[in-house]
This record gives sequence, structure tokens and C-alpha cells, in this order.
Amino acid sequence: MLIEKYADRIEKTFSKYPDKRSAVMPVLYIAQEEYGWLPDEAINEVADICDMDPTQVRSIAGFYTMYSEKPKGKYWLQVCTDLPCALRGADKFHKELKEYLGVEEGGTTDDGMFTVEHVMCLAACDKAPMLQCNFHYVENLDMDKMKALLDEWRAEAKEDK
Amino acid sequence: MFSGFWMTIKHAFMDRPTISYPEERRPVHERFKGRHALKRYDNGLEKCIGCSLCAAACPADAIWVEAAENTDDERYSPGERYAKTYEINMLRCIFCGYCEDACPTEAIVLEHEYQLSFTNRRDAIYTKDMLIDNPPEGREGTPQTVEPGAFDRSIPDMENPK
Amino acid sequence: MSELVTIYIDGQPYEVPKGANLVDVAKFYADNGIPVFCYHPKMEPVGMCRMCLVELGTIMRDRDSGEVITGENGEPQVRWFPKLQTACTTTVTDGMVVRTNTDAVIEARDDMIEFLLTSHPLDCPICDKGGECPLQNLTMAHGPGRSVFYWEDKVRLAKHVPLGELIYLDRERCIQCARCTRFQDEIVGDDVLAFHERGRELQIITVSDPPFDTYFSGNTTDICPVGALTTADFRFEARPWELKDIASLDVYGPEGANISLSTRLDRDAGGIVIIKRVMPRQNEAVNEIWISDKTRFGHHHTRAAERLTKPKVRVGDRLVEAEWDHALEVIRKHIKPNVSVGAIAGPTLSNEDLWELRKLAQAVNAGAKLSIYPATMTGGDIIAQVGVGVGTNFKDMGSGTTIVVVASDIEEEAPIWYLRTKVAGDRGAKILVLNARETRLDHYAADSIRYDYGAAVSAVNDLAKHEAVTNAENLVLICGAEGMTLEQHGELMNACANLLVSTGHVGRPNNGLLAVWEGANVQGAFDVGFSTEATAEMMAKVPDLLFIAGCDPIGESAEAAGLSKAKFIVVNSLFDTPTTAVADVVLPSQSFAERDGTFTSGERRVQRFYPAQGVIGQSQTDWRIFASIRNGLNGSAVQRLTAGVFKELAGEIAAYEGLTYPALAVVERQFPDVGGDDLYYGGTAYQNNGGLGVQYPATSEAEGAKPSKFATKGKKTSYKGLTAIPVNRLYDRGYLFKYSDELMQQRIGEPFVVINPADAANIAGGSRVGVTIDGVQYEALAVVSEDAPKGFVLMPKRLTSQPGPFAPAAIETIEVIAEPVGA
Repeated sequence: MLIEKYADRIEKTFSKYPDKRSAVMPVLYIAQEEYGWLPDEAINEVADICDMDPTQVRSIAGFYTMYSEKPKGKYWLQVCTDLPCALRGADKFHKELKEYLGVEEGGTTDDGMFTVEHVMCLAACDKAPMLQCNFHYVENLDMDKMKALLDEWRAEAKEDK
Repeated sequence: MFSGFWMTIKHAFMDRPTISYPEERRPVHERFKGRHALKRYDNGLEKCIGCSLCAAACPADAIWVEAAENTDDERYSPGERYAKTYEINMLRCIFCGYCEDACPTEAIVLEHEYQLSFTNRRDAIYTKDMLIDNPPEGREGTPQTVEPGAFDRSIPDMENPK
Repeated sequence: MSELVTIYIDGQPYEVPKGANLVDVAKFYADNGIPVFCYHPKMEPVGMCRMCLVELGTIMRDRDSGEVITGENGEPQVRWFPKLQTACTTTVTDGMVVRTNTDAVIEARDDMIEFLLTSHPLDCPICDKGGECPLQNLTMAHGPGRSVFYWEDKVRLAKHVPLGELIYLDRERCIQCARCTRFQDEIVGDDVLAFHERGRELQIITVSDPPFDTYFSGNTTDICPVGALTTADFRFEARPWELKDIASLDVYGPEGANISLSTRLDRDAGGIVIIKRVMPRQNEAVNEIWISDKTRFGHHHTRAAERLTKPKVRVGDRLVEAEWDHALEVIRKHIKPNVSVGAIAGPTLSNEDLWELRKLAQAVNAGAKLSIYPATMTGGDIIAQVGVGVGTNFKDMGSGTTIVVVASDIEEEAPIWYLRTKVAGDRGAKILVLNARETRLDHYAADSIRYDYGAAVSAVNDLAKHEAVTNAENLVLICGAEGMTLEQHGELMNACANLLVSTGHVGRPNNGLLAVWEGANVQGAFDVGFSTEATAEMMAKVPDLLFIAGCDPIGESAEAAGLSKAKFIVVNSLFDTPTTAVADVVLPSQSFAERDGTFTSGERRVQRFYPAQGVIGQSQTDWRIFASIRNGLNGSAVQRLTAGVFKELAGEIAAYEGLTYPALAVVERQFPDVGGDDLYYGGTAYQNNGGLGVQYPATSEAEGAKPSKFATKGKKTSYKGLTAIPVNRLYDRGYLFKYSDELMQQRIGEPFVVINPADAANIAGGSRVGVTIDGVQYEALAVVSEDAPKGFVLMPKRLTSQPGPFAPAAIETIEVIAEPVGA
């Protein structure tokens, strides 16, 4: 249960807002951290915590791309493909990355390691092509660099186990 | 006087305009508007979706439609809706063909049958069973049990203008 | 009246109220229908659909002198906005200039229609909205008539998504106007609908459990500007143009909600005209344009298979069908001089029925007891004295008004009052909730005051010092009777009246008392001379001859069991009920849909309803039955028409003096003007063609009237041991609603009791328990929750087929019959 496990953090979040309802977004992040994505049970818990209707919480989770409504891999790769990035080859990079990993848009590799999807502007146009891996920026990419990185992450994950 | 006789004699040897109806029947024009028929698709499903637009268009108020909902287990027509009751009062019908024009699925067609006679008013009401065509050969009639989701649209899809 | 300003619409000047919405104003004053999809006059504008784009400007004035600047031709100069503006998000100001028919505006509308149609399916022939669809109508009126988009690009989405049991969603048809989500959020407060995703993926969702759980869901289908939301009840029943709308009234609640019955001939119902759907009818003073789901979907009893079609007469221990003449003859034979007579009137009898019943009972015995069922509340005379003033309208209540709700869960008992109280609260009115337990309205209350069951009177007396009451400009008290005996409720009504009189909140609009009567015409019954005290007396001393009409006391109320001891019982009923089972003669009466008449609402508004449905069997109107018995008895003249009965009644009852059927049928134009053919504005079929009704004045409104003081003893009752508190539920198995179709049956739910955790020592939530009261065991599902105060068990009335207690009753034992499933 989130409310027990993260009692302090939730309490701290609530203190920043006039009412519980306003704190729904930070609490959703906590839920996403815990579950990896936002399954129905997470939504229901957040709704309980923030004293809202689950439908409203689901609506917020659906609107913002930072919340994932599907289970995703250990590494969540969000490639920016907006215009400035695309002009610097992000489109092609995104496509090649998907081909390399053998996934569809928004799909996850069979080993559950990587999820690839495109996102709207991440404000790093000068360092395109770039992507965001679990909310950390990785910039000035090309496929060679990417392949090295992927291997690195795979090794990292193995160590963790 | 002779011209009169001549006329009679001439007509006596002309082809007879009368035919021995009902053994013989005169052919009708291609666009003749006779009794209605409710059509089916090639797969046996009814074209009529029970939208009641024919009844709305009918100037004589001769058509009565009551609709109901299709399910995939008991499917009468494509889409969600079908005609549960479909009746035409042939005493009222003026065979204008507006129903044919109003039909969005070309389900109702005025065919060439014109032998409509009844001995009481109730018989003048043609029900859906009497109006609907037989299913195409080798196809079952309605209701049918179909694959879920196979027929979810009532109106055939439109195509882009060429 | 608010300040007026001058605005110019398409060159014409109009005097309009300052600060009003431009769309409303253009419609009402200029008869200029600015097309809208997302805007709704009852909700906050959002400007989402962009259909209402107009050219907007203001007349230029000199900054120093304030003079209007005129151009060369003497015309005032207008400073136009550089781009088109949404009319729905514009409030009118002085000197505003609006153009609604220029090329730019027309092009904008055309483009909006074209865009909307890119993903709207061509479903019109099978769509329940087809024929009364705002999108369809506006497409005919405005669109370009062609599209530059590809057909293949149309979205294909699920077409048959149930949102709860009552409402279906067609995702393809949705044009994302957010009217439904805003209605649920702003007006009802059950925000169980929301948008999900964004852009072209935007969809309406509900993930609440149970989904779309609200008492007002049907209203979303009316305000939906397309056929995206449709009701399961009306699904494919008929096309809108085939329906005939008949004005009628809600039969379930005290609010007097105005409805329209859409009727059509039906083959399955044996070729009679039946109700296909119930729609709200605009009456801004009563229900605006909203009705509860019970009103909307609870019409199936009018043609239920169980309806009685012929009179029945007791032969030995059996009731056998008989002809009318015979049945009436049997009744007349049992009417002997000086026999003691009682009449029990149900809450759905019209004023005319009540009048004829009274005349009949008094013709037999002048001292006849005239009583009302259910006998849970009293004080109809108090309402006639200090009830809300004429012209009271929840819509006018806002800042400065205090609404106090006492001893009632009005969401369950009077949903329209709940809705309107809640919205008044949003406008700034202070809501005070006095109850022994938490109710939904507490959520919106400025203050919730808890008392112990039995101590409501002193809680009301203490209110006199409450800051929200002392500072109130206007004060409305809404009084229920939860957890009370009849006597206690009399005390409470006195206390409420006393509070209003002592604070001077009587005799003017938006001030006074409302009682949450259990039924549509309880106020009328009080007015005609019936009382609930008589019911109590009658239950104590059962009269020899008993007339029961329009109710099922023996089947519903444990207290009424003794009535069967009456020597001769005549029951007018729609159905075979436990009450008809003990009757000597059963007469089939007509439902509200088959006949005309008048109801008097809780706000003392006398309103008419009209015949809509074909008559079932040989059933007859209640008043006609009573009149024919009386006629055969002493040959006294009887009226032939309902209007005649009402005229007679109005001549005898002082409060109804001067009321006539034509006066009740008068319709005035209402603001906002949502009736009519332009369905895009307010939604579907709201036109009022049956009359707005007339609210008769309370006696405290008369000039120079000095309302009398109301004395209360202020006695508290304390309960020892576990006590059952009967509570009202909107969906129950009451006399009429029990015969609803399956759709409503699944919403009623199982019988349950709510037990406080402290009292539920060895009872797990979800287990089946047997609650024994007065030697009778009631089986129910146990809900363990803080909703029930400690020491009390909430027992909803009329959920079981067993007659239950209607007044607080001591519980002997609670035993667990079965543990919860899965435990």
C-alpha cells in the first residue's frame, strides 16, 4: 500500500498544496515509481489518497505523457521527435532504434528491458537526436553510441540481478 | 356505311389486345412500381436496419416499423439495429416509391408484383415475413450467429470521391 | 432586476441584463441562435467547440470626454477584435457590437462543421438521436456540404460501450464537447466521467466502481449534442419524430418535477399507446431541465404485466374477477348508516381522487377518518402557513441565503432538491446539514451538525444562535423525518416553523419551510383534509369499512398489519399486493400515465398532468371509482370531467381558491429559452407545453399576517440498546417502483443494513444477517461502516418483500446467517 510505504513523502507533498486533490500529480509519480506503471490498483490507491474519483485520476494519467498506462521495460526510452530534433535526424534515429530492438512504437522488448516511444519536445533541441531514459537525458546520439549504451544498460541490469 | 363494315372486318382480323389473365400476364416496365420487397445481402443478412426513414418519407403513412437490437448471437442485419416489426398497409400505399428513395441501405425495393387483392382489411397489412426476400441460395436466413465484431456497422462504408 | 446595457447584434440595439452570457442574450432577446455544441446555459462556458465564433467589437469612445467617436458618415466607430471571438465565453458589456452573419463567421462555422464531421460516423439512420440531433441540425444549417478530407481517415472506435447499466456510449459519435463530464462535475458533483488521452485519441471514460453511479445519469443523454450517450431504456424504441410528447409529472418525489412522456403505439403492448421514454420538461422554478433517473426510467409500472385489468370480489377466501357493476354493488351493500369509515390515500393519488375519496367517506359517515400513507411525516398545515413564499426558486438562491437540511438524506429522498441545493451552494449559498449521520450533502455543507437520533428538535432550536442563520438574508429549511416517530416529527416541524417565525424568515420568496414528503402529492392530501395523525389513530382502532387507494400499506409497513382486521376493505390498486390480498373488493385503478389530474408539490405548486398512455384493461380513474360508488349510494350528482372535480375542490378548499385548469396550463417564456426546435442550445425535448403550475400562497404571506408561534416541548428521546432506524432509498421496492423493468431492478440491489463497527463485534461486512425486530426476522446484507451512528442500525425501507418498520424500533437480536462470500 502506497499510503503506508510512502507516508512521509505523501504527507510532505500534501503540505505543499491547499487541498489533497491538488497533490494528485506528485502522488501519481510516487505510484508510478512503486509499480513501474499505473495499473488500476495504483489509480484506485491514488484516488483514495487524494480523495478523488478514480475516473479523474485515470484522466490525468492519460493526459500527461510522463505517466505510463502500460507496463514498460526496465529502461523507458522516450525519443524526442519534434521538429527541431527531426531536422537533426531524430526521426530516422527513432525508426532505427525501434528496428534494432525489434519493437513497435510504445512496445517493449521481449526480455522486458527496453520500451521505446516518441514524446513531444524535451527542450534539448541543440543536442538532438536525444532521448530520455527513465527521465534522465541522453544527448547527441547516433546508432553506434546507442548500441554501446544499450549493451551497457544490459550489463548493468545483469549486475543488479 | 361500307367504311363502317370495313372497320369491323379489319378489326376482326387484327391481333387481339386482350390476354387471358391470369394465365397470361403482360410484362411490366423495368421501372414499374409494384409490391415492395425487403432485400438481403449476399450473406443472408437483411439489408433493413429498422431506421424508419421509409415510414417518415411515406406520404400515405402506410409503413409501420419497430426496431430492436442485434446481438452477435442473434443477428438479423449488420450493425446494432434491425426491424423487429415491418408492416406495410397495401390499402394505404400509393406506390410512389418514396420509401425506396429514403432507404439508406437500399433495403426496400418496389418490385414488379402487382397482384394484390384481399378480402378483408387485416389481410392488406403485409408483414415482414411476407415482404422479405428468401435468403440467397446456400445461405441461412436470419437470425444468424456470427463472429463477434464482424458486423459492427449498419451503413456500408462510403468511399472517397474519385 | 439587474442593470441593463445596450448591445448591438447584427445592427439592431437590444437592452439586455449586464453581465449575462452573449449566447443566452442573443437567443432570448434577439432570437439569434448562435450555434453551439459545448456551451450549455446551465453550465460554465469552456469554449471548446469553437462553433460560436462571432465578430465582436466595442463602440469607440473618447478617453477624456467619454463621447462616442463617430466616423465620417455619423455612424459610431467600432473597434473590432482582430479575430473572431467565441460568443459563449463572452459576457455582455455596454456598447458591445456583435456580428453573427458575416462571411468570416459563416466560413468559420462551415469549417468547424467540416472538422467535426471528419470523425463522426454516418450513423444517423440507426442513431437514437437522429431526428433531434444538434449536430445533424447544425450540419443542415451551416456546413459546407462537402468535405476535403479522406473517408479512410475517419476514426473507428467502439460503438457500444456501456457506461453503467443505464447509459451507452458510442465512442465514434462523441465530438468531445465535455457537456457530460461538466454536468457530472459541476451540477451533480459525481465526477465519474472524464476525458482520457488527448488530441484525436481523446475519449470519455469511467473507471469508477460501480461505473457511472449517479442518480442523474439520464440527463447527460439529453444534453449530449450528438448520439454518443444514449439510454439503455429508449435504445431503438422509436424515432424521435414518431413520438408524441404529453406533459406529465413525476410520481415519485415531492419536488413535482415536470416531465414529458414520449408516447407511441406499440405492437408488443397489444397495440395501445405506451410511454417510450420520459424526458424532462423545462420549469425553471421546479426542476429546471433535470430529472432523476428514477423519474426517467421508472415508468414501466404503468404497463407492467402485473397490472390489474378487472375488478375482483371476495367469494369465500378467494378473490374472483367480476364485472364493475357487480363489484360496486357489493361495496354499496356493505355501506350501512353509521358504520365507522376510514380512507387511506397513497401519495400518488391526485387532488381530484382525494377530493372524491373524501366526499365518499364523508357521505357514508361524516366522522370518517381521512388518512395518508405513509404515515411517517406530518405538518401539512404548517407548510400551508409558513411554507416557502410564492416565487421561491432555488435558482435565485446564492450568497446571502442559508439552506438548512434537517433529518433527511435528500439525495435519496428528493434528488432534485439535492441537486438544486448543491448548485445553490456552489453559487455561494450556505448549506447547513443537521443529521444524525453523514449524508452526501455534507460534502457541500458550510457546516454539518450532528445530533443523536431523538434529539433533532433541540438541534433545530440551537440553530437560532448559529452564525449562518443569524446572518442569513434568506433562510430555507428542508425538513425530513429520518429516525423519527410521527409524534417526534410533529415536534420537529413545530421547531422548524418556530425558528423561521422567530427569525422573520416567513412570508416572502426564498424563505420558509419545505417538507421532504414521501411521494408526489402528500401536500395535496394534507390540503384536501387528509392527515397522517388519522392514519395512526386508524391503526390503533381499525374502522369497520376501509377504503385504501394508491398504496400498499400492508406489504410495506410492519405497523400497518392491523389494518387487515377491518370488516370490509375496498382497495383501489394497480397491482395485486399484500394489501389487495386482504381486501374484500379490489378495483383496478389507472396509473398517472393513463389519466389527467393535478398534484401539489412540496413547494405548494399545483400542477397538471395529462393522459398519455392507452388504458390497461378495464381500469378506471380513482376519482371516478369513488364518484360512482357515491352516486349509486344516494344518487348525488357527480362530476363527469376531472376539470369539474377540480373546480368543485377549488371552490371548497380555501387555499385552492381561484385555481382552474386553464390557469394551471399557462406557459410563459422562460430564461434561458431552452425549449423549442433549436436542440443544440439546451438539449433535447425540453419544451413545456403543459403549464408551469401555480404556487398557492402560504397564509403567512397574506398582508398583515402575523404567523402564530409554534410551541415545542423540546423533549429528547434517548434510545437504549441497538435501535433500527428506517431510512429512505431512492431505488426501492415500493408500491410502484417494484414493477420497474429489469434495467431498474438491477439498480435497486439487495436488502442491506448498515451497522457501526462498534456494534458489529462478530459481524463481518458482507455477511448475511438476520435482524429481529418485534419478533420478526429481516434478512439482509450487513454493511459495517461509520455511516451508521453507534448504537443504531440503518435499515432502508421497502427493500425487502417483507413489510418493515417505518419508525425507529428496538432490535432484539442480530445473528449472522451466512459469512461473506469468499471469506
